[in-house]
Amino acid sequence: MSALLQGSSAEAQVVTVEAADRPLREVNREIREAVAAGHRVEVVEPLSRHNLAVGLTGEGHVTFRGSVGYYCGGLSAGGAIEVDGNSGWGTGEGLSAGHITVNGNAGMSVGAAMRGGTIHVRGNAGPRCGVAQKAGDIVVEGDIGYSTGFMSHGGRIVCLGNSRGSVGDSLWEGVVWVGGEIERLGIDAVVVTPEAEEVAEVDELLASVGVDGSGLDWKKVVAGQKLWYFEARDAKQWLMI
Amino acid sequence: MADDLNTPATAAGPGVAPEADARLEDLVAFGDGADPARPAGVPGSYARGDSPRWSPEAIADIQAKAQMGRYQLRGFSTFNKHLPSFDELVFQPATMTRLPLEGYREKCDTQTVLGDGLGKVEEPIVLDMPIYIAAMSFGALSANAKAALGRGARKAGTMTCTGEGGMLEEEREENRTLVYQLSPARYMIDLDHIRKADAVELVVGQGAKPGTGGLLLGMKISERVARMRSLPEGVDQRSTSRHPDFLGADDMTIKIEELREATDHRVPVFVKMGATRPYYDTAVAAKTGADVIVLDGMEGGTGASPELLLDNTGVPTMAAIPAARRALDDTGMTGKVKLVAAGGIRSGADVAKALALGADCVMIGSAAMIALGCNSPRYVEDYQKLGTEPGACHHCHTGLCPVGVTTQDPLLSERVDVEAASERVHRFLTALTMEASLLAKACGKSSVHNLEPEDLRALTLEASAFTGVPLIGADRPFSW
Repeated sequence: MSALLQGSSAEAQVVTVEAADRPLREVNREIREAVAAGHRVEVVEPLSRHNLAVGLTGEGHVTFRGSVGYYCGGLSAGGAIEVDGNSGWGTGEGLSAGHITVNGNAGMSVGAAMRGGTIHVRGNAGPRCGVAQKAGDIVVEGDIGYSTGFMSHGGRIVCLGNSRGSVGDSLWEGVVWVGGEIERLGIDAVVVTPEAEEVAEVDELLASVGVDGSGLDWKKVVAGQKLWYFEARDAKQWLMI
Repeated sequence: MADDLNTPATAAGPGVAPEADARLEDLVAFGDGADPARPAGVPGSYARGDSPRWSPEAIADIQAKAQMGRYQLRGFSTFNKHLPSFDELVFQPATMTRLPLEGYREKCDTQTVLGDGLGKVEEPIVLDMPIYIAAMSFGALSANAKAALGRGARKAGTMTCTGEGGMLEEEREENRTLVYQLSPARYMIDLDHIRKADAVELVVGQGAKPGTGGLLLGMKISERVARMRSLPEGVDQRSTSRHPDFLGADDMTIKIEELREATDHRVPVFVKMGATRPYYDTAVAAKTGADVIVLDGMEGGTGASPELLLDNTGVPTMAAIPAARRALDDTGMTGKVKLVAAGGIRSGADVAKALALGADCVMIGSAAMIALGCNSPRYVEDYQKLGTEPGACHHCHTGLCPVGVTTQDPLLSERVDVEAASERVHRFLTALTMEASLLAKACGKSSVHNLEPEDLRALTLEASAFTGVPLIGADRPFSW
């Protein structure tokens, strides 16, 4: 079975794609073409396969009826992806535009090096969430793993749950918001008191993905900027690196 | 019994007039101009030290660290004096047992194809020569320098690589063929840019400082560089050495599949690494499914690096190539995965030797920069301000490049005339190709890719031991 078109009008087509053991290139081509054309795609039997829905463009929507493997939605520049299950490493890595929702848990490096768009994880996210992030937003409703936001250049990581160790390690201008407890801050990470309007912006982001963050005691983690400059005479700063 | 220690230091005995004593002393002392208070024959060590361990450089290095409390940084490449050199290998042209080609007349094929071996790629790269210009980022180099390299490469029928700082509009425009680099820091990597590339390269490391990420000091983080790298302007950028979304080789295989999907299987995937354990690293890299392996020896250049890494880490290019080729042979990947070698290639003779040792293609970085104008004897007063002079400058890290190649200063950058510099790069690439093919023809080869280790002999035991090339005269490789 390959792409199955249902419905008649060009605007409202629903396309069903079976992943299973079919060649990845075919599966992705069908997803990519349908999303680029603005259709809704249902992928059945994703079977946690790697590299599904890589490089999407356009305004369409794809739902995976099950878990996906590594790099789901990686290097996409559009489209909306929903994973009705868990996702593996590097979900939405290099994303430049578009939206990804993971209804379960996400593995390591969610949104690694992303340059735009939004990633929303309803469960927990693994370590190095938002590593090397350049822009865009990541919302995690559960907990985030260690080294979340490692060397993040920009954008926001918003976690409603608790954070494991080394959160915000070696940050550039990225920001990590933690609603729960922080186990341990990363190197050169500091918690600052957020401005009311910054909290309002976070609430707006959360509202846009249908999440209520009111009543949380936000910790805003930013760079201490001690690692930004090389000419540091304090040996302790060197040992931190 | 006379005791030597108590004998006065005069040759004359009792009863000799003091004047005669002094005259004799003068004769004994040769009158060689040494310090009169010091015996003749030992002035050297008094004045110069001459300790091989505590050399003036070692002493100065300690004094610098004691003052700064940190390691020293610089650009260019290793100054380690003990590396083997391609000069220790010589070609053995055709004579009685082999027939040479007419060096001035007959054709020798130099076309080089990368990415065709595995049959996974729709558009392999075709170059007119077995040489292209190495990854040097916008940031390390000025925009004018990048544009000139691209234009020079296009004129010569070859390509360049972006380096880790993202894809510059000018370089995309100037290059016919452009390799886009994905370093661990992933500056400016997205679908749009990846699809503009003619090849994508995953960087595992570089020869100048394998195992350590890129370094670009604040002087060179201009507004444009900062924007392309998503960095605050003027910070000292120290990049990561590990990729954000994969760790080992098995993950990398999946990553490479992702890149193929993102580029719709159109362009080759390169993996670049610094040479450290070239046999095993090459075997593992070949298993990841990459089309091309780029192996950068420890002579490879850099815009900035901790100096100790330049001088104390890696494998020299000459020793790395045969090990990598052996790995591809042993794993049955020769012909399927192409090997590009880099690091300290200066001339067409070096190119030919690298090919003969087992490379399918070579990259030139420092040599291309020198063709652009690096170290040229112009703006001498600006070299002097850096405490150096043309021919000795290695101050890429300062961002004050007197000739505008490794700077982001708008006025200095203007010193690279793109058209003139690109013409020098073009002519240099042409000359390198002529030199390499001249050697190939003398060895009777109708293609530079037919050069083989048997065409070489080693002048030194070390070179023979490093490369497995027969020692000259003995006609067999040094072995234990």
